[in-house]
Amino acid sequence: MADAERERLRQTDDIQHTEAAQIESAQTESAGKEAAHRQWLKRLEEQSRAKQEAFMAGIAGRLKRPRVMEAPVHPFRGAPDFWRGFELFPEERVARFSEHWRSVGGHVARLPDLGAVRSFIAEKAAEMGAKIVLRQNEPELAALGLEEALPDAEVSVWNEDGGTDWKARAAEADFGVVMADHAAAHTGTVAVLSSKDKGRSVSLLPTALFIILPAERIRTRLGEVLTELDQAGRERLPAGVHFISGPSRSSDIENDLTIGVHGPGIVYALIVG
Amino acid sequence: MSAKAEARTVKARAELALNDDFLRKAVKFTTERLRSGKKNASSEQGNWEDWRERGRQIRLHTIANLDYYLNLFANNARANGVQVHFADTGAEAVQIAMEIAERKRAKTVVKSKSMVSEELHMNSALERMGIETIETDLGEYIIQLAGETPSHIIIPAIHKNRYQIADVLSKVAGEQLEADTTVLAGFVRKKLRENFLEADIGMTGCNFAIAETGSMVLFENEGNARMVTTLPKTQITLMGMERIIPSFEDLEVMATLLPRSATGQRITMYMSAITGPRREADADGPEEMHIIIIDNGRSLQLGDPEFQELLNCIRCGACLNACPVYRHIGGHAYGGTYSGPIGAVLTPALNKNVAEWDDIANASSLCGACYEACPVKIPLHEMLVYLRRRKVEQGHGNKAENAGMKGFGTVMRSAKRYSAAVRMGQLGQKLVVRGGEIRSKLGPLKGWNSVRVLPSLPKQSFRQRFKTLDEEIRAGLQEMSPDVRSRMEEALKRQRDEKPEQGGHGHG
Repeated sequence: MADAERERLRQTDDIQHTEAAQIESAQTESAGKEAAHRQWLKRLEEQSRAKQEAFMAGIAGRLKRPRVMEAPVHPFRGAPDFWRGFELFPEERVARFSEHWRSVGGHVARLPDLGAVRSFIAEKAAEMGAKIVLRQNEPELAALGLEEALPDAEVSVWNEDGGTDWKARAAEADFGVVMADHAAAHTGTVAVLSSKDKGRSVSLLPTALFIILPAERIRTRLGEVLTELDQAGRERLPAGVHFISGPSRSSDIENDLTIGVHGPGIVYALIVG
Repeated sequence: MSAKAEARTVKARAELALNDDFLRKAVKFTTERLRSGKKNASSEQGNWEDWRERGRQIRLHTIANLDYYLNLFANNARANGVQVHFADTGAEAVQIAMEIAERKRAKTVVKSKSMVSEELHMNSALERMGIETIETDLGEYIIQLAGETPSHIIIPAIHKNRYQIADVLSKVAGEQLEADTTVLAGFVRKKLRENFLEADIGMTGCNFAIAETGSMVLFENEGNARMVTTLPKTQITLMGMERIIPSFEDLEVMATLLPRSATGQRITMYMSAITGPRREADADGPEEMHIIIIDNGRSLQLGDPEFQELLNCIRCGACLNACPVYRHIGGHAYGGTYSGPIGAVLTPALNKNVAEWDDIANASSLCGACYEACPVKIPLHEMLVYLRRRKVEQGHGNKAENAGMKGFGTVMRSAKRYSAAVRMGQLGQKLVVRGGEIRSKLGPLKGWNSVRVLPSLPKQSFRQRFKTLDEEIRAGLQEMSPDVRSRMEEALKRQRDEKPEQGGHGHG
C-alpha cells in the first residue's frame, strides 16, 4: 500500500517535473522566438534606413535639384485666412453641432448635468434591454455611477484588470460609454483620444454608443482641434485619435443608406451644460 | 478579373458595358447623386474656389519638397515605433508584405479599402501563399466574393444590384438571404465581426500621412478601417509615396475637400489618425505596425512639367462622377485599377507604357469637366492631350489616321487641289447618293453611317456659287430703297454716338 502510494507520488512528481520542464522549455522557446523576431525587425530596419537614403536621393534627382535638408518655407499652411476668423458663439456652436449630428442619423440630447446623463442612459438601457455596458476608465464616467443606475446590466470598465480580453468584451457590449475629448460644430464631429484607460474599441464595437460631450468643449472649426494635435507634437500624441461624426454607414448596396454596417448604428451625443 | 474587363480595347469593353443596361443606369444614377451631393456640399461650405486653390497650393508645395517631407515622415513614424519600408516597385512591396505575413505565420488578413492594394494585386499574392484575405468594406467584400474588380474608386460595387448581391451573399450564408439592404448589411456585419477578431494581420491604405508627427490618416464611413487598425495584432499600411501632407493643420483643408468631393458629405463618419502601434499599457491597437512606402511608377511623374501635378491627386473620384464618358461606360471599361479621367492619365503614367493603354486617352471628349470637379485643380483634360501627343510622337498613332491627315494637309494647302477634290467628290458621290442622303456603309463610310446618315455634297459648293452670290448682293444693295438706306445709316450713327469710346471692329 505504502509502496503503491509512493509509486503514485513519484509518478505525480514526474509528471509535475515534466510539466515544469515543458513550461520552462516553452518559455525559453518563446523567449528565443522573441529574440529572433526582434533581430528580424532590426534587420528590416537597417535595410529600410539604407533604402531611405537612396529613395530620397532618387526623388531629388528626379526633381533635378540637390536634396532639401532644411524645412522649406510653407506659405500655404492650413486653411485660408478668411476661414480662421470664423467663430460662432457658444450657443450657436451647440445648435450647429446638434443640427449636423442629427442630419446624418445621430441622436442628440441636451442635459443639464451628469445626474441627468445617468438617468438618460438608464432609461435607454431599460428601453433597449441592454445587458452589457462598457465604459472608459475616466473620472467623469466613474462619477455617473452606472453600476447602481443599471441594476439589470453588467457594467465593466475598460482595461481595469489584465485578465480580461477587452476587445472581446467590447464586441459583446450593447452600450459603449465614452467622453468626448474635443468637438467641432461646423462638421458635427467629436474626437476621442486613446490611452490605457480609453480603448479605441469602446467607441467602435458596441451596438449603441453614448458620447458625453461637455458643451464648453465644442469649438467652431475642425481646424481648432487639429491645430492642437500639431501643438501637442509627435511625442505626446496617443496611438489613436478618432474623429467621429455620426453612426457607421454605407451606401454600397444600390446607393441605399444602411446604418450600423460595422461600427455602432445608434449614436447619442449627450451634450452636458 | 470579371468578364467585363477581359475585352482588349476600351471600345470593346465599353460596348460590353453599354449593353449591360443595369450597369449603365446604376452608374448614371450613382454618379449623378454623388455629383449633386458634391455641388450641395461645396456650396454649403462656401468659398469653394478658395479652398480648391489652397488644396492645390498645399499639394504642390509638398510634392515640390517631397524628399524633405517624406524623409521627415519616415523618421517620425520610426520614432513612433513603426517599421517603415520602402518599395521601388509593386512587386517589392508585395514581397515585403509576404515576408511579414510569413514571419507572423498569418492565416487571415483583414483589409480595408485601398486602391494601392488593388494596384499591387496584393490579394492574389496573399491567396497564392494560402492566406485568407478578406476585404471588409461592404462594397469591396461583395465584389471580392463575386470575383470581380472595383468599378468606382468610392463605390466599388456600383455595378451590382441587390438581387445579385443577395445571391452572392447567400452562398456564404448557406441559406437564401432576402434581397433587402438591411438584411444583407446585417449579415455582413455579423460575418465580418468574427473575422476582425480572429485575423492575424490588418491591412490598410493611407489617405494622408502627416510628415511632422509620423501619423497616418484614414477617412471612412463604415468603421471597418478602424476595426482593421484596432483589433489584429499586426498592422500593415500600404502608402503611395505622394500621400504626404506637412501637418495636421493642412489636414483641415484636405478634410474639407476630400469628403465633399467624394460623396458630398460634410465629413466622413470616421477620420482616424494613427500614430504608431499601441502604447505599452493600451489594451487594443496593433502591437506591431508596418508602413510600406511605395513608388511603383509615381516618381516618373516628378520633374515632368506635364504630369507632375498628377501626384497632387487625393483619390476622391469627383472626376469620375463629372465625366460624361465614365457616366456612360462605367469603370471596368478603362481596364486598369484607376478608372475615369484620373485613370486614363494615371494608368499609362504609372506604367510608363503609353502604347499598351493608348486607347484610354481617347476615351474622353476633352470637355474639361474633370478639371472643374477636381478639388486640387489637376488639369486632367490637358494631360489627356499631352498623352495623345506622346503617343503619336512615339509612333503609336493610327497609321491610317496619320496618312489621312497628311493627305488632308496636302489637299487643303492649295486652292487648286481643294477645288479639284470638291469636284471629284461631287462626281464620285453620284454612285452612293439616294434622295440627297448617303446611306452606304462601304469602306470608310461604315463607322459614321452605321448610326447616322451622311448628307450629300451640294451640287454647287459655296466657292462655286460665290461669284453669283457676290453679284446678287451688290445688285441687291443698289436696289435698296432710299428711305430704308437712310434709316440704316441713321441707326449706325446713333450707335456710334452712344458708345463713343468703344470704336473699332466689335460686333456691337
